[in-house]
Amino acid sequence: MRAEAMPAIGPGEWVTPPQLDQATVAIVSTAGLHRRIDPPFAVGSLDYRIIPGDIQFDDLVLSHISANFDRSAFGQDPNIVFPIDRLRELASAGEIGGVARWHYSFMGAMPDPSQFEETGEEIGRLMAQDGVDVAFLVPI
Amino acid sequence: MSEAVVPPRALWVPFDLGRPLGAIDDSEFQKNVMRTAFGLLDTAVEPTIEDYQIEAPDKGLSDTWSCPLNLTSESSGSLGERLLAEVARLRPWAIETRRQRGRTLFGISGAREDQVDELARQFAAIAETGEVTSEPVTDEISWAFEMPLLLRHIADDLRTFYHEAIAAQPGGNAPDHDALSRWIFSDTVLGETLVLVADGLTKAPDSPMAQLVRGLLIPEGHYRGGSAFPKETKFPIDPAT
Repeated sequence: MRAEAMPAIGPGEWVTPPQLDQATVAIVSTAGLHRRIDPPFAVGSLDYRIIPGDIQFDDLVLSHISANFDRSAFGQDPNIVFPIDRLRELASAGEIGGVARWHYSFMGAMPDPSQFEETGEEIGRLMAQDGVDVAFLVPI
Repeated sequence: MSEAVVPPRALWVPFDLGRPLGAIDDSEFQKNVMRTAFGLLDTAVEPTIEDYQIEAPDKGLSDTWSCPLNLTSESSGSLGERLLAEVARLRPWAIETRRQRGRTLFGISGAREDQVDELARQFAAIAETGEVTSEPVTDEISWAFEMPLLLRHIADDLRTFYHEAIAAQPGGNAPDHDALSRWIFSDTVLGETLVLVADGLTKAPDSPMAQLVRGLLIPEGHYRGGSAFPKETKFPIDPAT
């Protein structure tokens, strides 16, 4: 969908985080990721799933509704969609301050992203309580 | 999307859908994408969309990919028999991928890994009968969705089984989305079955959800030469419709 066909949203309040090597980073995915035990996403889902920072990839699945991308890349290397190992490596190397305890997943493919406002603000509050300085949004 | 949402800092990447970090099993490439995105924290002073200039190293490698198995030999019998025969030929490879990875993406529909035959049998029956309103009756599988959305996830589980089978075969990285879609819809009984199920959804009683699921079942360009998506779709759609 072209940007001009979508309702305009931003910009939000400008925030400058701490230096990156002092910043805690959380991933926010729109790939429809969730733990296998969680309910899968439905068409038009506005809710989200929590993903713990110590997630193991054998517990992470994807129920995104779109047929227009294949799951084979995620199947071969989940970091290409959910780069939690990369964050851990950057933290170990001192390039970022730390990795958040919790990460979050939505299902994208939503023509009107303003509908995510309520749940977006909710995870914002959760990330603030988790000490998150930087939200790394990774669309699919 | 970024132009409409106006995030504070955005990195536009030139990678295929489904591969936002660009390169499979290439940690340094992935981290460089992230470093560039994080670098905007230091440089941007207003909402910024920056282009990432580096292509994925495997771009174009799938253009000449073809599956070594000749699945078109499964040409006799009913649709269900042919689909089950095809699944049987792919099974050793799918098992090998799961053994190597220690995980699978199969199972969103509610089927367990050892129920792929029943899943294929039920999907072929739906294609043959055009019944897209009632969940398939089976004692084996506890479905995770209601119809017609269930169809989309049965299809995805079967595609996942095929993709995981391909991944274990000799060669390099998994082929990309276009190569996999060309293979599924040109050379497999699964592709034939998917199109027939989409036909059933087309003929379903006036149901926006059925038409939407048809579009979500088949990638763009692979449904009878065009898009399976309805021309106009408005969200949110009430699943009950």
